[in-house]
Amino acid sequence: MAHLSARGTRTPATWLARRWLDVGCALPLFAYVLLLTVVPILDTVRLSFTGSGDAAFPSLASYRAIFASEVFRTAVGNTVVVALLSMALQLLVGLGVALALHRRFPLRGVVRTIVLLPLGVPTVVAGAVMLLVFARSGYANALLFALADLVNLVPGVQWQFTPLAWVVAGGWRSLLTLAIADMWKVLPLVVLIFLAGLQAIAPELYEAAGVDGASRWQRFRYVTLPLLAPYVTMAVILRAIDAFRLFELALVLTGRVEPVLGTYIWSRYGPPTHDPFTAAAAAVVLAGLIAAFVALYLALVVRRAEATA
Amino acid sequence: MRSSAGERVGQVSFAAWVLLFTLLVLFPLYLLVMVSVAPGSAIFGERPALWVTEPTLRFWRRVIERGDLAAPVVKSLTVATAVTLAAIALAAPAAYVLARLPARVRYPLVVGLLVTRMFPEFVVGVSVATRFAQLGLVDDYPGLILAHLIPSLPFVAWILVGTFEGIPRDLEQAAAVDGASRLQTLARVVFPAAAPGIAVAALFVWLYSWNEFLYARLLTTSQNTLPLQVFQAVDRGAKQQMAAVAAVLVLPILPVVYVLQRHLRPGVLAGAIKA
Repeated sequence: MAHLSARGTRTPATWLARRWLDVGCALPLFAYVLLLTVVPILDTVRLSFTGSGDAAFPSLASYRAIFASEVFRTAVGNTVVVALLSMALQLLVGLGVALALHRRFPLRGVVRTIVLLPLGVPTVVAGAVMLLVFARSGYANALLFALADLVNLVPGVQWQFTPLAWVVAGGWRSLLTLAIADMWKVLPLVVLIFLAGLQAIAPELYEAAGVDGASRWQRFRYVTLPLLAPYVTMAVILRAIDAFRLFELALVLTGRVEPVLGTYIWSRYGPPTHDPFTAAAAAVVLAGLIAAFVALYLALVVRRAEATA
Repeated sequence: MRSSAGERVGQVSFAAWVLLFTLLVLFPLYLLVMVSVAPGSAIFGERPALWVTEPTLRFWRRVIERGDLAAPVVKSLTVATAVTLAAIALAAPAAYVLARLPARVRYPLVVGLLVTRMFPEFVVGVSVATRFAQLGLVDDYPGLILAHLIPSLPFVAWILVGTFEGIPRDLEQAAAVDGASRLQTLARVVFPAAAPGIAVAALFVWLYSWNEFLYARLLTTSQNTLPLQVFQAVDRGAKQQMAAVAAVLVLPILPVVYVLQRHLRPGVLAGAIKA
């Protein structure tokens, strides 16, 4: 508080005496985070540099082991593909939904509540339901069956629909299923962020653009999008942190078929391998992936936007 | 209002889009409720029915009778509420302090808090679980509460820093001029002004804890929380039972989400984003 610090507070002792309330307020939080998050993370990093079996430290044995493993390499590839796919889907659909919710229409409150519902559904439940939807005898296929029936009503058209295996097929179909499941679960958050951004844009800007003869598309491109940019960045960063760490959905949906890094770590740690060292190494790789992506995004997209602004 | 053909098309496609995404969001939830009351004939087989003609309450009754629901509900409810209260109590004061710091100090601290989330939760969880096992905190409420606080605290701090930044310092200085001590200012002026942000953060934390699975899995041996119960039902393949337990999980969400979206005024999240 400005008027309190007018007096000299040179020594640490007087600084503490003045600021004891501040320190007392902030200390519990940071102590907690330090003890229960930072320490385990450092512990994990230490573990990753410990080779299993021998006591030699530091050693890159665990890293070498996982990079030699094909399962690990597949998991990394899958993780990157699913994360990028999910994020693209979420941002596009989220923007579309936010734009719709930004306009006034009857029953908007109801629709908004509905759109927010997946927020409260535990990921495990979402995974279980998606399993129901995307199984070979599931409801996605049931919908497609119904669609085929409709189409076959047109005389002369004969569409024989054979149910598709979505989840267990492996390959891009499983990954697409994962991306859709993740998107369903996470859409509310993205919509909330974009809504906040849209609401922050002053309506006068649109009016001014309209006076200048801008079309709707032009107003969107030159007013809305640039002003939404910081919100898009926030959404990307928040989602990147969680999209790469995809775990529960993958465990329930595609666990045995297509590994992602989350499930790979789980499998290394649990039976039958019980290997915390390679699990730790994989975890460090995952964290590195996220950090690299965020850094890359900031460097490529944000810097470039600022440069051309 | 003139309604040209182009505008009509625009309105129709807008309505169609709203309908489409509303139905897509609702579809899985609808399935959940439907499956929980569906007789076996309707849901098994290569082409399951999209609606039930003869709903049955058999599985709900089975789940309730077996007491599969009561104990997990109590545990989940208690833990969620305790975590919410503790998170706000710990993080709100800290967020206030952070918000009043100069930007170049505040920025790295807030970013640092977010960065701690870049590690897969599983890894932190295992380390914490091992430590808790040594301390005897496993399978009981305190351990799980402490565990849920781990990701909740940075999140609440992040939201509340934005909220507190949005509260003008003039308010505090006016109170000081009126002779209020620092504590009084905080209690009577600042925190009430931050109430909407705190409410939103609290709701988010409550939802997170109610739905949390990983720590519950790592720290539970005998008494399940609700999400664990669902997971076990998934594992067992008992579709209708699983749907019933899951539906119970989802029910409290309805009022919570409704309240959440009423409170979400533009300022709340925007403050956090600018932070």
